[in-house]
Amino acid sequence: MNVVPLQTVRLPDWLAGVLGLDGLLGTVVGSLIGAALVATVMLTMTAIAGPWAKRKITAAFTDRVAVSRIGPYGLFIIVADSLRLISKELIVPENADRPAYDIAPIVVVFSALIGFSVLPMGNLGGVSIQLADPEAGLALVFAFASIATIGLVMGGYASANKYSLLGGLRSVAQAIAYEIPLLVIAISLVLFTGSLQLSEFIAYQQQPFIDLGVFAIPSWFAFVNPFAFLLFLVANLAEIGRNPFDTPEAPNEIVAGYQTEYSSVYFVLFYLGEFLHIFLGAGIITVLFLGGGAGPLLPGFVWFLIKLWAIFLFTQWMRSAMPRVRIDQLIGIGWKGLLVLSFANLLLTAVVVGVFNVGV
Amino acid sequence: MSTFETPDREQEADPETLLEDLLIGTEAHRNAPGVVIPPNAVQEALTRLREDAGYDHLSTVTAQEYADRFEAIYHLRRFADPTDELSVVVPTSKEDPTIESAAPVFRTADWHEREAYDLMGISFEDHPDLRRILLPETWQGHPLRQDYDQDRPQVVPLREHRNPIAENQQTAEGEDTMFLNVGPHHPATHGVLHIETVLDGEQVVDVDPDIGYLHRCEEQICESSTYRHQIMPYPDRWDYVSAGLLNEWAYARTAEDLADIEVPAYAQTIRTMGAELSRIAAHMLALGTFALDVNGDFTAAFMYAMRERERVEQLLEELTGQRLMFNYFRLGGVAWDLPDPREEFFENVREYLNDVPEAVQEFHDLLSNNEVFQLRTVNTGVLEPEVAKDYGCTGPVLRGSGVAYDIRDKDPYGRYDDLDWEVVTEDGKDNYARVLVRIREVEQSARIIDQCLDRLEDWPEDDREIQSNVPRTVAPDGGQEIYRAVEGAKGELGIYIRTDGSDTPARFKIRGPSFSNLQVLPELAEGEYIPDLIAALGSLDLVLGEVDR
Repeated sequence: MNVVPLQTVRLPDWLAGVLGLDGLLGTVVGSLIGAALVATVMLTMTAIAGPWAKRKITAAFTDRVAVSRIGPYGLFIIVADSLRLISKELIVPENADRPAYDIAPIVVVFSALIGFSVLPMGNLGGVSIQLADPEAGLALVFAFASIATIGLVMGGYASANKYSLLGGLRSVAQAIAYEIPLLVIAISLVLFTGSLQLSEFIAYQQQPFIDLGVFAIPSWFAFVNPFAFLLFLVANLAEIGRNPFDTPEAPNEIVAGYQTEYSSVYFVLFYLGEFLHIFLGAGIITVLFLGGGAGPLLPGFVWFLIKLWAIFLFTQWMRSAMPRVRIDQLIGIGWKGLLVLSFANLLLTAVVVGVFNVGV
Repeated sequence: MSTFETPDREQEADPETLLEDLLIGTEAHRNAPGVVIPPNAVQEALTRLREDAGYDHLSTVTAQEYADRFEAIYHLRRFADPTDELSVVVPTSKEDPTIESAAPVFRTADWHEREAYDLMGISFEDHPDLRRILLPETWQGHPLRQDYDQDRPQVVPLREHRNPIAENQQTAEGEDTMFLNVGPHHPATHGVLHIETVLDGEQVVDVDPDIGYLHRCEEQICESSTYRHQIMPYPDRWDYVSAGLLNEWAYARTAEDLADIEVPAYAQTIRTMGAELSRIAAHMLALGTFALDVNGDFTAAFMYAMRERERVEQLLEELTGQRLMFNYFRLGGVAWDLPDPREEFFENVREYLNDVPEAVQEFHDLLSNNEVFQLRTVNTGVLEPEVAKDYGCTGPVLRGSGVAYDIRDKDPYGRYDDLDWEVVTEDGKDNYARVLVRIREVEQSARIIDQCLDRLEDWPEDDREIQSNVPRTVAPDGGQEIYRAVEGAKGELGIYIRTDGSDTPARFKIRGPSFSNLQVLPELAEGEYIPDLIAALGSLDLVLGEVDR
């Protein structure tokens, strides 16, 4: 099978070229600036999503009007909310276990941000927006994403609050139960691509799947294996802790779970981490199933962001509509349902790939 | 649907004969005959009355003080026929007020007697857990006693209270447990309720509701207010979530029966319509908050419920001028006639009624037909009908366990007896059934309103009497006692009044349905997971204003 090599230059190399640096210095400087740019884009999206878009979306789902007073369409609420959150007093519980208490929110945010370092986020003007493309990219991105759980458990335990503890324990139980299905589903895709490198995933999905003459349906894995796509969507909801799987923070049961005792900037960091994780989860889905930045007319990077927002919308939709399952039911669905189904999917895919010889 | 068998009244013994050897006197209350028994024969008497005479519902326990004695009244009735009532009067001495506890016979007596102990200082022998219930445990004195000094400041420091985590926390099997305070400030407590919970992992081992945070001395306030004008605003504040007219009716019914006030049919029709509007609003809030508890925040179901409730609120505002604290009923009628122009009001109500089926369907789509919702609620928080009756549960909680007990049906007041509607029951006994009952009751309420509208539209203009002729001062004859109940949004909302000939009651006792409904929570939650504790709490649909009074 011939994979079309990307005729583009990756962002760090391009930056190094623009700055006229080469060798190790060029790599380091280019990577740092590139990482800063990507992080800025993601943080900006989070800033839009948290105080504004989320409110607007849930309001639309629930027949309300949200944030409409400050600025056009209430957009300046982003500034107002940032100021409000930052200016709040930081209250640290007396028995908090420091420095674990202080590190936890930072871990949560950075684990999500690091995840973006290996995601191919489409092209922009001939530059591939991907910071690094290691051969083990797929394994790495899941590894980064699951570091967040450590932050949650840390925060839950270090807060010295029983609700936090329950939330932390729930989040670790949930993460273990749902990360394995996620990985197994992802492995079923590796059977097609023959590589863990994420750019290979993008390349594979650019091939036509069904040629309809006028246009061809690309072999996005969402089309090639819709069953795996659905499983992944569901498992991802649990991974990012959104309805019907938002048990770790379930406000009506355990107040706010692991983040009960966090205020001010730490609270902001947790929230930031949560939204970054939704976007990271969306990013992984986009790369694995939706062809990354593939799409007509608009630049690839823009398509990538559009897909991210579409999946964000999906999570908010679930949140507005779905009841929350109980923690034991959640674990049951994970181990007895999704894990079994994902292995079934793996076997089935292996058979199909072997028989029809569609893989690499 | 009902689990009742029609009691064979001929075979059942007359209470007085049944208690012949225990009886020390009889009384005649306005609602029921009274039997007077000595304080050491309570269990024996109540057991006989329950088992041989069929009095299976202990509505409430009223404690009061006379010049020469203390007295507790056990208000008994039958679930099958609440008009068949009996007051068991238990006098006790002033020096050492002690009465044998009825808690071993009726579980519901547990909390009612704790309240009597707390506020009146009557101690109950053989009571499983005689602690203060409304006031803090270190409170000095009993505030409803005549010699209680209200001016004495009370300091209630936390350090003097029992420390629930002092003792070793293990289950009977030796598993380590964790004590958890749910509330008084917690997103799911629907007000200020504190639940002392013991957890084994995520499972609930022990639940002990701690109430009283919203105790506003409503009974005492009513005792110092006049029948005619001053009491009526207070019922609005018991079940304060838009069920106001239902509460007002409880007082209106009691006081009107006491003072023999006739209410014109026209006013009764308006009352019936208003009360059912209130019920829809209250049930909508119950559905919405239950969705909050099970679905999580930011869910559509809650906002849709609030939207529906808002439409009812607007109708009620047109009718009464208020949105929550209506103060619309008067002794002998209502405050004013339907708003002008009448046609517009009728049109607005009709428009709303037309949309009710669609709204109900929406809730079925969002909640009851949702598989995840069913996964969460079916077979959780199971309440057996016998247990529910034992705890004195009423309203949708009892009807969700398949018992067709509805005061509107069995002890009709207003216009309910000549309207066409059904008592809604579900046999599921679980959280799901209780939610279904509320959804279906909204439909029945809409039916009732519709029929009231038909009558009001055709009502001859010269016969629209909104209030009968009630004297400026209402002072019923002294020495009368009455217990009357109506079907509030949460169940049997009853009021006991004793008169002393003045224009204020000598004793004013409120039976809040949520009080008894909350008491059953441990039965629903113990052994379940935390989320089911929360769901069970939500399915009981508590209003703490009515629990604490």
